[in-house]
Amino acid sequence: MKISEIMTTSVHTISSWKSVSSAAEQMNERKIGSLLVVDHNEVMGILTSRDVRSAHPNRIVADAMTPSLITVTPDQDIWHAYHLLKAHQIERILVMEDSQMKGLVTREEIMRKLSESLDAHTGLYRAPYIRYIGEELLKQRKPFHLIFVDINDFGRINKEHGHPFGDDVIRALSTRLVNLVHEKDDFLCRYAGDEFVIISLADEERIDEYLKQITKPMVLDDVPISVAVGYLNGRKEPEFFSHSLKELLRKVSLMSSLNKQYKKERSWGDLYDLRRQEEIDISSKESEDEQQGEGVRKGIPNIYL
Amino acid sequence: MSDRNRYSRKAALSLRISEFEVPPMQDLLIVGRKAPIGPEAVRRMAEALSPEQFSLIKIDHPRIEAVLMRNSLMQMLDKDVLMNIILEEAQNMISDSMVLRSELKIAISVEREVDLP
Repeated sequence: MKISEIMTTSVHTISSWKSVSSAAEQMNERKIGSLLVVDHNEVMGILTSRDVRSAHPNRIVADAMTPSLITVTPDQDIWHAYHLLKAHQIERILVMEDSQMKGLVTREEIMRKLSESLDAHTGLYRAPYIRYIGEELLKQRKPFHLIFVDINDFGRINKEHGHPFGDDVIRALSTRLVNLVHEKDDFLCRYAGDEFVIISLADEERIDEYLKQITKPMVLDDVPISVAVGYLNGRKEPEFFSHSLKELLRKVSLMSSLNKQYKKERSWGDLYDLRRQEEIDISSKESEDEQQGEGVRKGIPNIYL
Repeated sequence: MSDRNRYSRKAALSLRISEFEVPPMQDLLIVGRKAPIGPEAVRRMAEALSPEQFSLIKIDHPRIEAVLMRNSLMQMLDKDVLMNIILEEAQNMISDSMVLRSELKIAISVEREVDLP
Protein backbone atom coordinates (compact mmCIF):
# COMPACT_ATOMS: atom_id res chain seq x y z
CA MET A 1 0.00 0.00 0.00
CA LYS A 2 1.50 3.27 -1.11
CA ILE A 3 1.23 6.66 0.58
CA SER A 4 -0.16 8.09 -2.66
CA GLU A 5 -3.30 5.99 -2.15
CA ILE A 6 -4.30 7.82 1.03
CA MET A 7 -2.64 11.23 1.00
CA THR A 8 -4.62 14.41 0.68
CA THR A 9 -3.34 16.86 -1.91
CA SER A 10 -5.29 19.93 -0.76
CA VAL A 11 -3.05 21.40 1.92
CA HIS A 12 -3.78 24.75 3.54
CA THR A 13 -0.82 27.03 4.09
CA ILE A 14 0.15 30.04 6.17
CA SER A 15 3.10 32.42 6.22
CA SER A 16 5.53 32.24 9.13
CA TRP A 17 4.99 35.97 9.74
CA LYS A 18 1.33 35.55 10.66
CA SER A 19 0.25 35.46 14.29
CA VAL A 20 -0.69 32.29 16.06
CA SER A 21 -4.13 33.74 16.77
CA SER A 22 -4.80 34.31 13.06
CA ALA A 23 -3.63 30.77 12.36
CA ALA A 24 -6.04 29.47 15.00
CA GLU A 25 -8.85 31.44 13.38
CA GLN A 26 -8.03 30.00 9.96
CA MET A 27 -7.92 26.48 11.37
CA ASN A 28 -11.25 26.94 13.11
CA GLU A 29 -12.91 28.38 10.02
CA ARG A 30 -11.70 25.56 7.80
CA LYS A 31 -12.16 22.92 10.50
CA ILE A 32 -8.64 21.60 9.98
CA GLY A 33 -5.98 20.47 12.44
CA SER A 34 -2.86 21.82 10.78
CA LEU A 35 -1.45 24.43 8.43
CA LEU A 36 1.67 24.08 6.38
CA VAL A 37 4.02 27.01 6.91
CA VAL A 38 5.27 28.27 3.56
CA ASP A 39 7.43 31.34 2.87
CA HIS A 40 8.29 32.22 -0.74
CA ASN A 41 7.21 28.75 -1.93
CA GLU A 42 9.56 27.10 0.56
CA VAL A 43 8.13 24.80 3.21
CA MET A 44 9.33 26.05 6.60
CA GLY A 45 7.44 23.76 8.93
CA ILE A 46 4.00 22.71 10.06
CA LEU A 47 1.69 24.35 12.57
CA THR A 48 -0.62 21.88 14.27
CA SER A 49 -3.48 22.46 16.69
CA ARG A 50 -1.14 21.11 19.37
CA ASP A 51 1.38 23.87 18.53
CA VAL A 52 -1.37 26.50 18.63
CA ARG A 53 -2.56 25.33 22.04
CA SER A 54 0.90 25.54 23.55
CA ALA A 55 1.97 28.93 22.14
CA HIS A 56 1.06 32.47 23.15
CA PRO A 57 -1.49 33.82 20.61
CA ASN A 58 0.66 36.92 19.98
CA ARG A 59 3.63 34.91 18.80
CA ILE A 60 4.35 34.70 15.12
CA VAL A 61 3.81 31.34 13.44
CA ALA A 62 7.59 30.92 13.06
CA ASP A 63 7.84 30.78 16.86
CA ALA A 64 5.09 28.23 17.31
CA MET A 65 5.44 25.85 14.35
CA THR A 66 7.20 22.51 14.33
CA PRO A 67 10.20 23.20 12.14
CA SER A 68 11.74 19.76 11.75
CA LEU A 69 9.50 18.15 9.20
CA ILE A 70 9.07 14.44 8.94
CA THR A 71 8.44 13.63 5.31
CA VAL A 72 7.64 10.66 3.13
CA THR A 73 7.47 10.22 -0.61
CA PRO A 74 4.23 9.22 -2.38
CA ASP A 75 5.65 5.83 -3.40
CA GLN A 76 6.69 4.79 0.11
CA ASP A 77 4.77 2.18 2.02
CA ILE A 78 2.03 3.13 4.47
CA TRP A 79 3.76 0.94 7.07
CA HIS A 80 6.76 3.24 6.82
CA ALA A 81 4.55 6.24 7.58
CA TYR A 82 3.02 4.34 10.50
CA HIS A 83 6.44 3.69 12.05
CA LEU A 84 7.43 7.34 11.61
CA LEU A 85 4.22 8.38 13.39
CA LYS A 86 5.04 6.08 16.26
CA ALA A 87 8.72 6.97 16.48
CA HIS A 88 8.17 10.74 16.44
CA GLN A 89 4.78 10.77 18.17
CA ILE A 90 3.23 12.99 15.53
CA GLU A 91 -0.17 13.20 13.89
CA ARG A 92 0.69 14.19 10.33
CA ILE A 93 3.43 13.59 7.82
CA LEU A 94 4.20 15.78 4.86
CA VAL A 95 4.44 14.09 1.48
CA MET A 96 7.33 15.48 -0.57
CA GLU A 97 8.86 14.49 -3.87
CA ASP A 98 11.92 16.14 -5.44
CA SER A 99 11.70 18.95 -2.85
CA GLN A 100 8.13 19.63 -3.96
CA MET A 101 5.21 19.35 -1.59
CA LYS A 102 2.74 16.76 -2.83
CA GLY A 103 0.32 16.51 0.07
CA LEU A 104 -0.25 15.45 3.62
CA VAL A 105 -1.06 12.16 5.28
CA THR A 106 -2.72 12.00 8.70
CA ARG A 107 -2.54 9.42 11.49
CA GLU A 108 -6.30 8.93 11.19
CA GLU A 109 -6.05 8.01 7.52
CA ILE A 110 -3.03 5.77 8.04
CA MET A 111 -4.70 3.91 10.89
CA ARG A 112 -7.93 3.54 8.89
CA LYS A 113 -6.01 2.01 5.99
CA LEU A 114 -3.92 -0.23 8.22
CA SER A 115 -7.01 -1.49 10.01
CA GLU A 116 -7.91 -3.08 6.66
CA SER A 117 -4.75 -5.17 7.09
CA LEU A 118 -5.86 -6.43 10.47
CA ASP A 119 -6.93 -10.00 10.80
CA ALA A 120 -10.48 -9.75 12.16
CA HIS A 121 -10.19 -13.10 13.88
CA THR A 122 -7.11 -12.44 16.03
CA GLY A 123 -6.67 -8.69 15.85
CA LEU A 124 -3.12 -9.24 14.55
CA TYR A 125 -1.72 -7.70 11.41
CA ARG A 126 -1.58 -9.94 8.37
CA ALA A 127 1.34 -11.02 6.17
CA PRO A 128 2.01 -7.67 4.40
CA TYR A 129 3.00 -6.22 7.77
CA ILE A 130 5.73 -8.73 8.46
CA ARG A 131 6.89 -8.57 4.86
CA TYR A 132 7.35 -4.81 5.18
CA ILE A 133 9.17 -5.09 8.53
CA GLY A 134 11.48 -7.85 7.30
CA GLU A 135 12.32 -6.12 4.05
CA GLU A 136 13.05 -2.86 5.86
CA LEU A 137 15.37 -4.57 8.35
CA LEU A 138 17.18 -6.36 5.54
CA LYS A 139 17.53 -3.07 3.70
CA GLN A 140 19.00 -1.49 6.84
CA ARG A 141 21.21 -4.56 7.32
CA LYS A 142 19.86 -5.14 10.81
CA PRO A 143 20.01 -8.84 11.71
CA PHE A 144 16.86 -10.27 13.24
CA HIS A 145 15.38 -13.51 14.52
CA LEU A 146 12.69 -15.10 12.40
CA ILE A 147 10.26 -17.47 14.07
CA PHE A 148 7.62 -19.39 12.14
CA VAL A 149 4.87 -21.03 14.17
CA ASP A 150 2.54 -23.57 12.64
CA ILE A 151 -0.16 -25.59 14.39
CA ASN A 152 0.27 -29.34 14.00
CA ASP A 153 -2.58 -31.26 12.37
CA PHE A 154 -4.79 -28.20 12.16
CA GLY A 155 -6.79 -29.76 9.34
CA ARG A 156 -7.47 -32.81 11.47
CA ILE A 157 -8.46 -30.63 14.44
CA ASN A 158 -11.00 -28.82 12.28
CA LYS A 159 -12.28 -32.09 10.90
CA GLU A 160 -12.60 -33.87 14.23
CA HIS A 161 -13.71 -31.01 16.46
CA GLY A 162 -15.31 -28.57 14.03
CA HIS A 163 -14.25 -25.23 12.62
CA PRO A 164 -15.49 -23.15 15.58
CA PHE A 165 -13.11 -25.13 17.77
CA GLY A 166 -10.35 -24.60 15.21
CA ASP A 167 -11.04 -20.88 15.48
CA ASP A 168 -10.66 -21.10 19.25
CA VAL A 169 -7.30 -22.82 18.79
CA ILE A 170 -6.10 -20.02 16.51
CA ARG A 171 -7.23 -17.42 19.02
CA ALA A 172 -5.62 -19.23 21.95
CA LEU A 173 -2.27 -19.47 20.17
CA SER A 174 -2.53 -15.85 19.04
CA THR A 175 -3.16 -14.75 22.65
CA ARG A 176 -0.17 -16.73 23.82
CA LEU A 177 2.04 -15.05 21.22
CA VAL A 178 0.69 -11.55 21.90
CA ASN A 179 1.36 -11.95 25.61
CA LEU A 180 4.86 -13.14 24.87
CA VAL A 181 6.22 -10.49 22.53
CA HIS A 182 7.39 -7.00 23.43
CA GLU A 183 5.97 -4.08 21.49
CA LYS A 184 9.34 -2.34 21.32
CA ASP A 185 11.39 -4.86 19.39
CA ASP A 186 9.11 -7.68 18.29
CA PHE A 187 6.79 -7.85 15.30
CA LEU A 188 4.06 -10.45 15.13
CA CYS A 189 1.54 -11.33 12.46
CA ARG A 190 -0.91 -14.05 11.52
CA TYR A 191 0.83 -15.07 8.36
CA ALA A 192 -1.82 -17.34 6.92
CA GLY A 193 -4.40 -19.77 8.29
CA ASP A 194 -2.76 -21.49 11.25
CA GLU A 195 0.65 -19.93 10.68
CA PHE A 196 2.16 -17.08 12.66
CA VAL A 197 5.44 -15.24 12.12
CA ILE A 198 7.52 -13.29 14.61
CA ILE A 199 10.39 -11.02 13.66
CA SER A 200 12.38 -10.07 16.72
CA LEU A 201 15.30 -7.81 17.49
CA ALA A 202 15.60 -9.18 21.02
CA ASP A 203 18.75 -10.82 22.39
CA GLU A 204 19.26 -14.56 22.10
CA GLU A 205 18.43 -15.17 25.73
CA ARG A 206 14.95 -13.73 25.25
CA ILE A 207 14.51 -15.69 22.02
CA ASP A 208 15.35 -18.92 23.88
CA GLU A 209 12.62 -18.05 26.34
CA TYR A 210 10.18 -17.29 23.50
CA LEU A 211 10.84 -20.65 21.91
CA LYS A 212 10.31 -22.44 25.21
CA GLN A 213 7.08 -20.58 25.89
CA ILE A 214 5.69 -20.98 22.37
CA THR A 215 6.20 -24.73 22.50
CA LYS A 216 4.82 -25.23 26.00
CA PRO A 217 2.04 -27.82 26.19
CA MET A 218 -1.42 -26.45 25.51
CA VAL A 219 -4.70 -28.25 26.02
CA LEU A 220 -7.96 -26.73 24.88
CA ASP A 221 -11.22 -28.45 25.88
CA ASP A 222 -9.23 -31.63 26.59
CA VAL A 223 -7.70 -31.52 23.11
CA PRO A 224 -3.88 -31.38 23.14
CA ILE A 225 -2.55 -28.76 20.78
CA SER A 226 1.00 -28.80 19.48
CA VAL A 227 2.92 -26.47 17.24
CA ALA A 228 5.87 -26.84 14.91
CA VAL A 229 8.41 -24.07 14.97
CA GLY A 230 10.98 -22.95 12.45
CA TYR A 231 13.62 -20.60 13.74
CA LEU A 232 16.35 -18.62 12.04
CA ASN A 233 18.93 -16.47 13.77
CA GLY A 234 19.98 -13.63 11.47
CA ARG A 235 23.18 -13.09 13.42
CA LYS A 236 24.37 -16.62 12.78
CA GLU A 237 22.97 -17.34 9.37
CA PRO A 238 25.73 -17.07 6.77
CA GLU A 239 25.07 -14.44 4.11
CA PHE A 240 21.86 -13.49 5.85
CA PHE A 241 21.54 -10.21 3.98
CA SER A 242 22.02 -11.78 0.60
CA HIS A 243 18.62 -13.48 1.02
CA SER A 244 15.32 -11.83 0.30
CA LEU A 245 12.67 -11.96 2.99
CA LYS A 246 10.70 -14.31 0.77
CA GLU A 247 13.63 -16.75 0.77
CA LEU A 248 14.09 -16.47 4.52
CA LEU A 249 10.39 -17.11 5.10
CA ARG A 250 10.54 -20.10 2.77
CA LYS A 251 13.49 -21.52 4.70
CA VAL A 252 11.95 -21.00 8.09
CA SER A 253 8.59 -22.40 7.03
CA LEU A 254 10.41 -25.38 5.57
CA MET A 255 12.06 -25.94 8.94
CA SER A 256 8.68 -26.01 10.61
CA SER A 257 7.42 -28.42 7.94
CA LEU A 258 10.37 -30.71 8.62
CA ASN A 259 9.48 -30.64 12.27
CA LYS A 260 5.93 -31.63 11.42
CA GLN A 261 7.17 -34.65 9.49
CA TYR A 262 9.22 -36.02 12.31
CA LYS A 263 6.52 -36.73 14.78
CA LYS A 264 8.21 -38.03 17.84
CA GLU A 265 7.51 -36.66 21.24
CA ARG A 266 10.71 -34.90 21.99
CA SER A 267 11.27 -31.66 23.81
CA TRP A 268 12.15 -28.33 22.32
CA GLY A 269 15.55 -28.81 23.91
CA ASP A 270 16.31 -31.58 21.44
CA LEU A 271 15.71 -29.34 18.48
CA TYR A 272 17.43 -26.46 20.13
CA ASP A 273 20.55 -28.54 20.82
CA LEU A 274 20.57 -29.67 17.23
CA ARG A 275 20.18 -26.13 16.03
CA ARG A 276 23.12 -25.09 18.17
CA GLN A 277 25.18 -27.84 16.66
CA GLU A 278 24.32 -26.36 13.30
CA GLU A 279 22.98 -29.63 12.05
CA ILE A 280 20.14 -27.75 10.41
CA ASP A 281 21.85 -26.20 7.47
CA ILE A 282 19.22 -23.77 6.30
CA SER A 283 21.66 -21.99 4.06
CA SER A 284 22.05 -25.13 1.97
CA LYS A 285 21.39 -24.61 -1.71
CA GLU A 286 19.84 -28.03 -2.07
CA SER A 287 16.37 -28.38 -3.40
CA GLU A 288 13.48 -28.41 -0.97
CA ASP A 289 13.00 -32.17 -1.43
CA GLU A 290 16.62 -32.86 -0.75
CA GLN A 291 16.54 -30.57 2.24
CA GLN A 292 13.51 -32.33 3.62
CA GLY A 293 15.09 -35.71 3.20
CA GLU A 294 18.31 -34.50 4.77
CA GLY A 295 16.40 -32.91 7.61
CA VAL A 296 14.60 -36.12 8.44
CA ARG A 297 17.76 -38.17 8.08
CA LYS A 298 19.52 -35.90 10.56
CA GLY A 299 16.71 -36.52 13.00
CA ILE A 300 15.28 -33.06 13.40
CA PRO A 301 12.58 -33.60 15.96
CA ASN A 302 9.08 -32.27 15.87
CA ILE A 303 8.16 -29.71 18.45
CA TYR A 304 5.53 -31.89 19.97
CA LEU A 305 3.71 -30.78 23.05
CA MET B 1 -28.49 69.79 35.63
CA SER B 2 -27.30 71.34 38.88
CA ASP B 3 -24.39 68.83 39.03
CA ARG B 4 -23.14 69.95 35.59
CA ASN B 5 -23.02 73.51 36.73
CA ARG B 6 -21.07 72.64 39.82
CA TYR B 7 -18.38 70.32 38.33
CA SER B 8 -16.17 70.48 35.26
CA ARG B 9 -13.96 67.74 33.65
CA LYS B 10 -10.35 68.53 32.86
CA ALA B 11 -7.45 66.57 31.46
CA ALA B 12 -3.80 67.11 32.36
CA LEU B 13 -1.25 66.19 29.69
CA SER B 14 2.35 65.35 30.25
CA LEU B 15 4.63 64.79 27.26
CA ARG B 16 8.09 63.28 27.61
CA ILE B 17 10.22 62.95 24.49
CA SER B 18 13.39 60.95 24.15
CA GLU B 19 15.42 59.48 21.31
CA PHE B 20 14.16 56.18 19.93
CA GLU B 21 16.78 53.48 20.09
CA VAL B 22 17.31 51.29 17.07
CA PRO B 23 16.76 48.50 17.78
CA PRO B 24 14.52 49.16 20.79
CA MET B 25 16.83 47.15 22.99
CA GLN B 26 20.35 47.30 24.28
CA ASP B 27 22.72 44.38 24.42
CA LEU B 28 20.55 41.44 25.36
CA LEU B 29 17.03 40.09 25.22
CA ILE B 30 16.17 37.07 27.33
CA VAL B 31 13.04 35.38 25.99
CA GLY B 32 10.75 33.29 28.21
CA ARG B 33 9.31 30.02 26.90
CA LYS B 34 5.74 31.33 26.84
CA ALA B 35 6.52 34.97 26.10
CA PRO B 36 4.19 36.77 23.67
CA ILE B 37 7.22 37.52 21.49
CA GLY B 38 9.10 34.40 20.51
CA PRO B 39 12.78 34.01 19.64
CA GLU B 40 12.25 34.02 15.89
CA ALA B 41 10.22 37.23 16.02
CA VAL B 42 12.92 38.82 18.17
CA ARG B 43 15.63 37.65 15.78
CA ARG B 44 13.75 38.99 12.75
CA MET B 45 13.17 42.32 14.48
CA ALA B 46 16.85 42.71 15.31
CA GLU B 47 17.89 41.60 11.84
CA ALA B 48 15.50 44.08 10.20
CA LEU B 49 16.62 47.04 12.33
CA SER B 50 20.30 46.21 12.90
CA PRO B 51 21.41 43.68 10.32
CA GLU B 52 24.14 41.24 11.37
CA GLN B 53 24.61 42.80 14.79
CA PHE B 54 22.76 40.26 16.91
CA SER B 55 22.74 36.48 17.24
CA LEU B 56 20.00 34.29 18.62
CA ILE B 57 21.12 31.56 20.99
CA LYS B 58 18.46 28.94 21.73
CA ILE B 59 18.92 27.21 25.06
CA ASP B 60 17.58 24.25 26.95
CA HIS B 61 16.11 25.77 30.10
CA PRO B 62 12.74 25.24 31.81
CA ARG B 63 11.75 28.94 31.63
CA ILE B 64 14.10 30.57 29.15
CA GLU B 65 13.82 29.74 25.45
CA ALA B 66 16.53 31.88 23.92
CA VAL B 67 18.88 34.82 24.34
CA LEU B 68 19.44 37.44 21.67
CA MET B 69 22.94 38.86 22.12
CA ARG B 70 24.93 41.62 20.49
CA ASN B 71 27.68 40.02 18.41
CA SER B 72 30.35 42.43 19.63
CA LEU B 73 30.01 41.02 23.15
CA MET B 74 30.89 37.58 21.91
CA GLN B 75 33.92 38.96 20.15
CA MET B 76 35.23 40.20 23.47
CA LEU B 77 34.37 37.25 25.67
CA ASP B 78 33.68 33.58 25.16
CA LYS B 79 29.99 32.92 24.40
CA ASP B 80 29.65 30.17 27.02
CA VAL B 81 31.19 32.33 29.73
CA LEU B 82 28.73 35.11 28.91
CA MET B 83 25.75 32.77 28.72
CA ASN B 84 26.53 31.18 32.09
CA ILE B 85 26.62 34.58 33.78
CA ILE B 86 23.46 35.80 32.01
CA LEU B 87 21.46 32.70 32.85
CA GLU B 88 22.65 32.62 36.41
CA GLU B 89 21.41 36.16 36.98
CA ALA B 90 18.30 36.10 34.80
CA GLN B 91 16.81 32.85 35.97
CA ASN B 92 16.26 34.27 39.45
CA MET B 93 13.87 36.91 38.18
CA ILE B 94 12.37 35.73 34.88
CA SER B 95 9.08 33.90 34.46
CA ASP B 96 8.36 31.90 31.35
CA SER B 97 6.02 34.60 29.98
CA MET B 98 8.53 37.48 30.24
CA VAL B 99 11.04 39.05 27.88
CA LEU B 100 13.87 40.78 29.73
CA ARG B 101 15.98 43.51 28.26
CA SER B 102 19.48 43.90 29.56
CA GLU B 103 22.51 46.06 29.22
CA LEU B 104 25.85 44.36 29.37
CA LYS B 105 29.03 46.37 29.30
CA ILE B 106 32.44 44.84 29.35
CA ALA B 107 35.28 46.91 30.75
CA ILE B 108 38.69 45.41 30.44
CA SER B 109 41.32 46.44 32.87
CA VAL B 110 44.93 45.71 32.02
CA GLU B 111 48.00 46.28 34.08
CA ARG B 112 51.41 45.57 32.69
CA GLU B 113 54.87 45.91 33.93
CA VAL B 114 57.63 46.86 31.54
CA ASP B 115 61.33 47.01 32.03
CA LEU B 116 62.72 50.50 32.26
CA PRO B 117 65.60 51.38 29.95
